[in-house]
Amino acid sequence: MAASADKVKASEDAPAAESRLRRLLMQREVQLLLVLVVFTLLVRAGGAKGFLGPTHFPIFLSQVAPDMLVVIPMAMLLIGGMFDLSVTGVANLSVVLVGWTFSRLIGQIDDTLLILLVVAIGLTAGLIVGAINGLAVTRLRMNPLMTTLATWWMAQGAATGVAGGESRHNFVGAFRDIARHQPLQGLGETFPFLQEMRISTLPLPVFYALIVIFLGWLVLTRTRFGWHIFATGSDRQGAALNGVNVNRVTLIGFIATGIAAAMCGIVWASRLTSAPPNTLGGLELRVIAAAVIGGAALTGGEGSVLGAVLGLFFMHMIRSATIQLGLPVYWEFFVLGAVLFTAVAFDAWTKRRADTQ
Amino acid sequence: MDAAQAQLERENVDASAPEPLLIARDISKSFGHVQALSNAYVDVRAGEIVALVGDNGAGKSTLIKTLSGAHRPDAGEIIVRGRSVTINNPNDSFDLGIATVYQDLALLPSRDVVANLYVGRELTNRGLLDRRKMTEEANRVVRQLRTNLPSVHTPVRFLSGGQRQAVAIARVVHFGAEILLLDEPTAALGVKESHEMLSLIENLKEQNKGIIVVSHNLAHVFRICDRITVLRHGQTVGTLIKEDTDSTEVVRLITGADLL
Repeated sequence: MAASADKVKASEDAPAAESRLRRLLMQREVQLLLVLVVFTLLVRAGGAKGFLGPTHFPIFLSQVAPDMLVVIPMAMLLIGGMFDLSVTGVANLSVVLVGWTFSRLIGQIDDTLLILLVVAIGLTAGLIVGAINGLAVTRLRMNPLMTTLATWWMAQGAATGVAGGESRHNFVGAFRDIARHQPLQGLGETFPFLQEMRISTLPLPVFYALIVIFLGWLVLTRTRFGWHIFATGSDRQGAALNGVNVNRVTLIGFIATGIAAAMCGIVWASRLTSAPPNTLGGLELRVIAAAVIGGAALTGGEGSVLGAVLGLFFMHMIRSATIQLGLPVYWEFFVLGAVLFTAVAFDAWTKRRADTQ
Repeated sequence: MDAAQAQLERENVDASAPEPLLIARDISKSFGHVQALSNAYVDVRAGEIVALVGDNGAGKSTLIKTLSGAHRPDAGEIIVRGRSVTINNPNDSFDLGIATVYQDLALLPSRDVVANLYVGRELTNRGLLDRRKMTEEANRVVRQLRTNLPSVHTPVRFLSGGQRQAVAIARVVHFGAEILLLDEPTAALGVKESHEMLSLIENLKEQNKGIIVVSHNLAHVFRICDRITVLRHGQTVGTLIKEDTDSTEVVRLITGADLL
């Protein structure tokens, strides 16, 4: 009796396990991870044997890190049903403000104080533009596409205006540490394997990125605010009827994205120790495309932090692979565009299929 | 006959019956130049189903929305359990034990059943979401309503119309609302699902809820309701007891045709 019951149970479990596997494979993050693994193997087979190997990987991470700061809040903004084109302008504005403040005040106040002041000014610029975007969209009911296109140009124009055609280089030496300090260096001396794995040489921005990823994941999946972001993007009116403060969600989303873009700019200024107003190009499309490839819906309500991380990895892997395989770099944008096109087409196809089921 | 008595007479209320859970009286609301409601009246007791009927634009949905806190009335009084109250937003309404299931359901299509049950009222434990407890509770509520859903982790957009409706009602019941406002609960459903929904509403009545149902479907109204309140041009033109009336009379009141 018991044996036959077990048998029934077992035969019920088999399809359950199968459907669990199917569900797992339906997850965008899992699909994307598989694509990344296959892509890596193909690139290695194609001649770039060191692609994402122990030497390349740490360098790759530090190249991805500044964008990673922006892609996380951008993905959250997309999940909340909004998006922000102004990030490139904001990042460049904060680069230029960093350079400008250094050139004005260097030698006049204490270096540490000056660095703090410079960082505060850069971040404030991001906060202000983010707040303008958020208030325009929520209070004035302005269209987010046009609003952030306008603030993008305004921020970029302010950046070139303040720079006045010059790129400033007169930085406090210690400011470089923001992008270049390797916090695990000491550990690497004690534990040689960290040195061998080159983990001890990872620069600070990788750790900023890890913190932003963790915070983004925590907020989005483990807090009420995160669920309110999903609710707002899923059905703004429905969420509001259930007591979700949708305007607050949108405003905070824009402010977080603005501050993150400014952080990205500060990291770049520190890395380059120079402040040209065109430091960043195409940041907005890179991070929006990455989030969408990672499963964030432009219509809102769907997406994940892990998806955005993998999406951005993919964007940068394509760029890296083009160089390492010695392909003409001029074709990079063609490949990025084709990948985005494929991702969006795949998305539309899965939605169509789900609707007809 | 004093004024209060006259009022009772007009609203067809038995003076010996228990006090209504909710009374909305002299409710007025305009949007710009459009007077959506003027002197609208409705009341409901525990364990009673009141239908709110009227033509398109008669103000049924607007009246429901003033009770649920989506609109603030320009004038009028809302009395809940004998106490005059002000409802400024959906949370006020919720705190008074009033819950609304909207015509468009106000469900979040991309979110699962759990997230939909708890939207705006998520459970937390030390500041973080208590996802396990919400899942357990959602499973319990779904079982209680005897609705078959594939899983509480299914996004709502994959559910049928009747299943969505059940989720919307489960949400309301779960939070212990005593006064339920249902806006066109059967409008989007097929025949079989409509009947399941009507049984579900009768269940709620047995659980001693006070229920106001907005509906266009007089057959459904006569099947489940105790009283029928008719709105025309934003005014309550009368409340009829089901046993004393028929659909012809109700239609005449709705359209404003002569009663004689």
